[in-house]
Amino acid sequence: MDLKTKRKIKGNIALLLSTFAAFMGLFWLVFIIFDVLRHGITALNLELFLEDPAPPGVPGGGLRNAFVGQFLITSVATIIGVPLGILGGTFIAEYARGTVFAKVISILSDIMVSVPSIVVGTFIYALLVKPFGHFSGWAGAAALAFIMVPVVLRTTEDMLKLVPWTLREAAFALGASYFRVIKDVVYRAAATGILTGVILAIARIAGETAPLLFTSFNNSYFTTNMNEPIASLTVTIFNYAMGPYEDWHEKAWAAAFIITVVILIVTVTSRMIIHWRYKS
Amino acid sequence: MEDNIKIKVKNFSFYYAKSDKPALKNINMPVYEKKVTALIGPSGCGKTTLLRSFNRMHDLYYGNRYEGEIIMDGKNILSDDIDLIELRSKVGMVFQKPTPFPMSIFDNVAYGLKLRGIKNKSELEARVEKALKQAALWDEVKDRLKDSASGLSGGQQQRLVIARALAVEPEVLLFDEPTSALDPISTGKIEELVVGLKETVTIIIVTHNMQQAARVSDYTAFMYLGELIEFDKTDIIFTSPKKKLTEDYVSGRFG
Repeated sequence: MDLKTKRKIKGNIALLLSTFAAFMGLFWLVFIIFDVLRHGITALNLELFLEDPAPPGVPGGGLRNAFVGQFLITSVATIIGVPLGILGGTFIAEYARGTVFAKVISILSDIMVSVPSIVVGTFIYALLVKPFGHFSGWAGAAALAFIMVPVVLRTTEDMLKLVPWTLREAAFALGASYFRVIKDVVYRAAATGILTGVILAIARIAGETAPLLFTSFNNSYFTTNMNEPIASLTVTIFNYAMGPYEDWHEKAWAAAFIITVVILIVTVTSRMIIHWRYKS
Repeated sequence: MEDNIKIKVKNFSFYYAKSDKPALKNINMPVYEKKVTALIGPSGCGKTTLLRSFNRMHDLYYGNRYEGEIIMDGKNILSDDIDLIELRSKVGMVFQKPTPFPMSIFDNVAYGLKLRGIKNKSELEARVEKALKQAALWDEVKDRLKDSASGLSGGQQQRLVIARALAVEPEVLLFDEPTSALDPISTGKIEELVVGLKETVTIIIVTHNMQQAARVSDYTAFMYLGELIEFDKTDIIFTSPKKKLTEDYVSGRFG
């Protein structure tokens, strides 16, 4: 066998293996999404959104409490997490740029991003649940915000660093203060990137279960009181899927369907924003 | 008629952060009012460093050090009590690469005015129009002032940036190799502009291109390794320089 054929065979083997690996990954992903859609769609109905859960074993009822709870927890987490993340990212990329302090925060954020979310849940449990003696929506929101801050902070930092220095210098040269330079020029130049990061961070926390188990826990009743335990879609999926009743399983599929579709839409939207931005 | 001195550089040295070696050594030179002064010299000679001292751009980075004086209208602009925002509104700057802000053409030119608290819409419109006309860009953009500035060509962007600097009516305008990223036609337009602008502003221009220096400037400073080798009227520098080094450089023997 000459060298040329040998190389060709090697090349083809590599191509075959990588194609196989790609299909393996894709197959399970499509399988999961398809399975969720297949089971979820059949379980969808209007009561799901309009009614609260029926007592165990009794047919009917919905998951209104979980939808509202999920929305409240995610919104409060976003309201706390996004400004903290953006301002923190601004601090380390602009005001403290190049200092050891900024480097340390940046590295710590990277570590925090990869901390298992259940650890965050237990941490907030010790901080906001144990001392008050009860689970609460606030604690759930705090746990999700805690997960969100480093994600938004690092994205903001990276996006701000992509803005060329000459653009800042040009604004300074016109007699702008640093605050005006950041607000008028740097944020504008980095807006799409930061927005995308924020959207992806929201999608990330909307799918979290573990940190909520120890914080907002669950509630079979409808409530908007963030001081009480409050239901969420993810914890409801967890409980219902583990439960003994067939219609609980169906509702869990429906909830999984909804949350998957919402996260899918949010993620695709943010990708489209990037795409649209780089085209124009 | 004797030209008036706008800026006087006196025993000026400059040190970049973490460096004991001066990037500029004991510079002494005048900058004449409403004239074009060109700074020429090979790469690394300090001409951009000197230019960026006139609006104290070096203050943006920690640890940079000035020594000596740069006196503008009788005041040392290197002293600590100088308000940098006020200084930079008197001394505008145009960079090597066009730096349009991510906003509309109109907002780009109006930005410096808004920084100075001008909110009146008709005043803004009038001054934006005037600045764009001065920068010879008005006819090309008057129908699309609301469009994003990033849609303009490189040469148009550079004229937009000049209009932005002119809108605040500076006394001095600094150009840092303003045409090195542009094609010959755009370069020609910018050069014409520079020559026309000296009726109203004092101009200092850094250039790598000796023909450009000869075409646009009234005075030329030749710098080498952080020192000012020779300063004189441009035609003297290019035809009968006093120093051998200057002659070698302008005749293209090195650099």
